[in-house]
Amino acid sequence: MKVVVKHWHAVASWRWDTGADQAAGEEDDVCGICRVAYEGCCPSCKMPGDDCPLIWGECTHVFHMHCLLKWIGTAASKQQCPMDRRTWVTAERKVAPPA
Amino acid sequence: MATTALRAQVASKWQESFNRLNKNEPGIAGLMRFSQAWEVATEFLRPKDISDPNALKTYNLATIRVAFDVVNQARRLPVMLEVYMDDIRKQQHLITQEVTAHMFRYEQSANPGIVLELVMRLVEWYNAWAPIPELGNTIRDAYTLTFQTHLFSVLPPSFTPGFKALCASTLPPISSDNDALPEANPRMWAAFETLGLFDRYEALIASVVYQHIEAHVLETCAGKWDEPVLPGLRDWMGKKVIKWMFSPYARGAKTTEEATVMLQGPGQRFDFHMSKTLCDLRTKEIFDIVIDYPDSSGALQDLKECLQRVDQRADLVRTLRTANKKRLLHPGADTKDILTQYVSTIRCLRIIDPPGVLLFKVADPIRRYLRERPDTIRSIVASLVGDGESGDSLVDENEPINPLQQPEIEDYTDPNWEPEPIDAGPDFRANKPSDVISTLVSIYDSKDLFVKELQVLLAQRLLAIQDGNFDKERRNIEILKIRFGEAALQVCEVMLKDMTDSRRTDQHVQSQQTFVLHPTIISRQFWPALESSGIVMPGQFETLQKEYAKEFSRFKPDKKLRWLPHLGTVHLEVQLQDREVTADVPPLEAAFIELFSEKNIWTVDDLISRVGSVDRSSALKALATWVDLGVLKEDAENSFRLLEIAEEATPGTRTAAARQAAIDEAPPVAGVQQQQAEQMRVYWKFIEGMLTNLGQLSLDRIQGMLKFAPGYDRTMDQLSSFMEAARMEGLVTIKDGMWKLNR
Repeated sequence: MKVVVKHWHAVASWRWDTGADQAAGEEDDVCGICRVAYEGCCPSCKMPGDDCPLIWGECTHVFHMHCLLKWIGTAASKQQCPMDRRTWVTAERKVAPPA
Repeated sequence: MATTALRAQVASKWQESFNRLNKNEPGIAGLMRFSQAWEVATEFLRPKDISDPNALKTYNLATIRVAFDVVNQARRLPVMLEVYMDDIRKQQHLITQEVTAHMFRYEQSANPGIVLELVMRLVEWYNAWAPIPELGNTIRDAYTLTFQTHLFSVLPPSFTPGFKALCASTLPPISSDNDALPEANPRMWAAFETLGLFDRYEALIASVVYQHIEAHVLETCAGKWDEPVLPGLRDWMGKKVIKWMFSPYARGAKTTEEATVMLQGPGQRFDFHMSKTLCDLRTKEIFDIVIDYPDSSGALQDLKECLQRVDQRADLVRTLRTANKKRLLHPGADTKDILTQYVSTIRCLRIIDPPGVLLFKVADPIRRYLRERPDTIRSIVASLVGDGESGDSLVDENEPINPLQQPEIEDYTDPNWEPEPIDAGPDFRANKPSDVISTLVSIYDSKDLFVKELQVLLAQRLLAIQDGNFDKERRNIEILKIRFGEAALQVCEVMLKDMTDSRRTDQHVQSQQTFVLHPTIISRQFWPALESSGIVMPGQFETLQKEYAKEFSRFKPDKKLRWLPHLGTVHLEVQLQDREVTADVPPLEAAFIELFSEKNIWTVDDLISRVGSVDRSSALKALATWVDLGVLKEDAENSFRLLEIAEEATPGTRTAAARQAAIDEAPPVAGVQQQQAEQMRVYWKFIEGMLTNLGQLSLDRIQGMLKFAPGYDRTMDQLSSFMEAARMEGLVTIKDGMWKLNR
């Protein structure tokens, strides 16, 4: 017997590849600034995903890009990462080499 | 012993009387003349038995008039009158006989004609005994009074119904269409007048008309709701009843104007009675009228007009409330039907009473009842998005789409401000004629519940879409945005965008490498909680998933896919030795059949262990699908075999039962209640934490502390039932109102 799939309408959800591999059912990671899940969107956005991307720091901390830029824009920030008070340096994301 | 003086006095009196009677005629000629005149007059006046032909004589009126003159001149008229009245009293037994005889016949035959005969006969008697008009009104009145007094005293009880029947027989028959009245009998009404029956039985005559009107209204209007009947009824009144009323009510009117004036009073009364009858009828029918709306708008117009004339609003409210309670608000009624009826009620009562007082009173129990039903919101939302199942949506397509209206605060500076209607209750809210959706949504205090349920429904529908066409959903959301506001439906907007994005992504991925797999990729935060499941797709399905995910990551390097393997559908073809079976099946079914390509015989437990965590009943259901299709066969209990070569289906398998189970398929999207329970589990962590740190706490304290948790919106009651559930599970204990962790 052979099963031939003609068409498969499947459902999947996307999530940011933050490096940390979390098991299904685990609590979602949230942005350290707005406390909204990474897969959600920052308070000033309405659409998640590519419209509200994440930003990675060299310190390995991840935020919604809009949240972080807003923070960096304030004088009080002193250009520091809000989590560890090190000067914020945006990490070059090394895109996983195509397999 | 008479004295001389007395003697003289008697003598002078005698002389005086004699002179008065004798009129200074010679001798006793005057006296003779007087006694002759007396004879003639009393003979003329004496009541005779008119049924005895011998007693009837014709008199020379001139002679009689002279005789009366003589008597009058002698001032003996009062005396004569007394004699006359005495005579009448003596003859009264004749009348009594007549009445008894006629009424006996009437009682035998129940023919109102006999009553008419009696009346006419009585008039004959009356006329025969009546004094001549020359004697003046006093005598005539005295006569009439005596005659009538006697007559009324001898009329038997059966005369009243007889008389009523007689009056009724003069009215036109109700069902006949000809306009002609039964032959009007003016003599009859004149006779009634003569005998004083009219004044005595006025109420009776009116009641005959009332009954006539009632019968007519009931006959012609019951169940006829499509057009207003009131104009027709007025027309009928004008043509038939008014015409009839001329004889009894406008008697003695010389001109038309006079008659009109005389008819006005009774006419008004009859018109009122007609309105009242119609109003009663429609009130009784109101529940069915509401059901039939909009085909019953005529009846509603009538009712509106009647209610303005007849004050029966309270009655209407009471009837409709009772009917609703009895026929609508019970567990047997479908929520959708209740909603439909409620919407019809709104529309109907708005016609009858635009300010909405009646509506408010009637709607209150319905709303309270709907609030208690668990599926009310779902039904409302389903009708909002125009659920395909039932054709008629609650919402009128033509109704303009308006934002939801908030209850208005009264603006007393408005020059056109009007106070609430007088029969408005204390908690009456003058909601200005608002649209149906606003009213429905206002059953609940907040519209958030609707938005949540809407998300769930939208998720179900979007995930069920096969052909990628969701224009209808988009249109619905656009309409609902106008109603609920842009912000509330932001989440739905994201869901729709996910659909378009998925398609675009899929197109890109397919352009790189062709897949039979076409996933819908969702933003999990914005979709209602989808039931999670731990199915692992076996064989080629897993390969497909992995490859697609890889291709996706190449397209969007910073994102990953996480499959929700239990959702979606698979269109596949099973190639067997002697046949091919194509089917559209859920993923679990597909996973199982894929496993059968490894080996031909599987036990249920083995299958389950291969696909991960699936509960047994859904596994059996999935297998039953293939058994139904003739691909598998259950050889032994829990053991299935692939049929490479078709076999006759053996009867008595449990396919039928399994198919039944398949029908009751649970939706893949968790309902609002399930979601709430899910959320509560999060709060349990908080509760557990605070009980660990603080030992024991009262419910108030727990609620107070939970308020600090983000997004916590439960009431005390909800918390209390949750804690109770936790106690059942043995997680906590309660003592003196203090909750404590169970250790």
